Amino acid sequence: MKDFAIFWGCTIQTRFPFLEKSTRMVLDGFNLPYRDLDGFTCCPEKSLVNNVDHGLWVLTAARNIALLDKAGVDLVSPCTGCVSNLATVNSELHLSYKEKNNVNSILNEVGLEFKGKNKLRHLVPFFHDEVGIPSIKNKIVKPFNGMRIAIHYGCHMIRPSHSLKNDDPLEPKKFDNLIRAMGAESVQHMTKLMCCGQGLDRVDQHENALHFARLKLKELKTLKADAMALCCPSCYLQFDNNQFLMEKEGEKFGIPILYFTELLGLAMGYKPEDLGLDSHRTPATNFLEKWDRLNEELSQTTELNRQLEQGFGIAQHT
Amino acid sequence: MLNLKLLEVCSKCGACYHICPSSLNMEGYDPRAVIKDIISGKHEKWLEHKSIWQCLECHYCLEICFQHYGFESAMTAMRTLAAKKGMTPPQVKRGWDMFIKTGRLGEPMASARKKLGLPEAAKSGSEDFKKIVKIYQESKKQILISKS
Ligand code: SF4
Ligand code: SF4
Repeated sequence: MKDFAIFWGCTIQTRFPFLEKSTRMVLDGFNLPYRDLDGFTCCPEKSLVNNVDHGLWVLTAARNIALLDKAGVDLVSPCTGCVSNLATVNSELHLSYKEKNNVNSILNEVGLEFKGKNKLRHLVPFFHDEVGIPSIKNKIVKPFNGMRIAIHYGCHMIRPSHSLKNDDPLEPKKFDNLIRAMGAESVQHMTKLMCCGQGLDRVDQHENALHFARLKLKELKTLKADAMALCCPSCYLQFDNNQFLMEKEGEKFGIPILYFTELLGLAMGYKPEDLGLDSHRTPATNFLEKWDRLNEELSQTTELNRQLEQGFGIAQHT
Repeated sequence: MLNLKLLEVCSKCGACYHICPSSLNMEGYDPRAVIKDIISGKHEKWLEHKSIWQCLECHYCLEICFQHYGFESAMTAMRTLAAKKGMTPPQVKRGWDMFIKTGRLGEPMASARKKLGLPEAAKSGSEDFKKIVKIYQESKKQILISKS
């Protein structure tokens, strides 16, 4: 596997360092060749920078990508927004020779050149495509069998598809495959692909942001999902923090919000507190208790099956 | 970018309205009305309207659009025009100021990192960033870095 730089982005490092922790733990657990690269800035955030100055949005992203060209490494990020922004600029520059030249004439002044030769990937499709389901299954010591998990992909993990090219933009499968590989049921729901709506909080429309969070949380509560799984700090902020704020005002949802890396880490046998689960504002206590209980039952049947197999004297499916 | 030819088609299509999460879930959000006004040269009133900031940039419209255009192109154009006139929501202004000053939207939390046992954060590229912003703003190239 080619070496890759991790692009943490502003939100994780500024607000949710525990998400960096769980990400590092699973990357280390799989012995993956990642490194931290000096020199990155904000990806930059599209809804902020591109709205005000498209050229600067392109230039800043191109500079981040040029750092990869210089170091000769791919990029993987646990933030959907970062990857989507970088990939969008990457494809825009590959399509326009003139624009690329203009960008490079400026980047040359700081000793960089945009080539866009390396892969830019989000952590979820990266695990699916590069690490692969079989290796992931091999690492699972405490599966989520019997747990009902609702996936929130997050728009920018998969869209715009002309730049990301990693899954079906309207009917993605990879996150589902990963959750199932950990033993859980992927609960299908109407709002599965609906935008989280966190962007509304960034334009001073808090009530509208809450409205979007409520739509999804209500549905998951009705469906009795045990947790929501996602892999984007913005979506995480929207559902963990805004759920907490709404519960404080008396609404009840009780849906723990778990990061992909936290789920994978748990299934690999890491302790919830080491993974940073105690930093969540919406507690995951019920989820963890049910999971413990199911695993106890599971280990009993596993033992019985082992005895049965011995009786037959031939290898059987477990 | 605005493209009147594409917008003309939008005014007869409207397909993405039915998949757009903001249109479906927020009272009064309707890019079709904005597009109609752009075509007839009456877009001005939208610049101060909160609607144009309600597009979530989820790219749903882009994905289903047979022109690969999407409502979002019109909404982004309106936001950019509004920003040029200084009509941004306060939070956008704060975010922009911080971005231009530091190249980031916040700094890593050193104490929390230590507590979690995380290594020191990698160095930010803010110095080089500020250099290229300066060159960019001084040069005329800025008009050339744009989607054609
Ligand atoms: S990008 Fe904006 S206009 Fe397009 S579907 Fe999403 S919210 Fe609607
Ligand atoms: S953006 Fe595309 S899908 Fe939406 S109304 Fe216009 S032509 Fe139709």
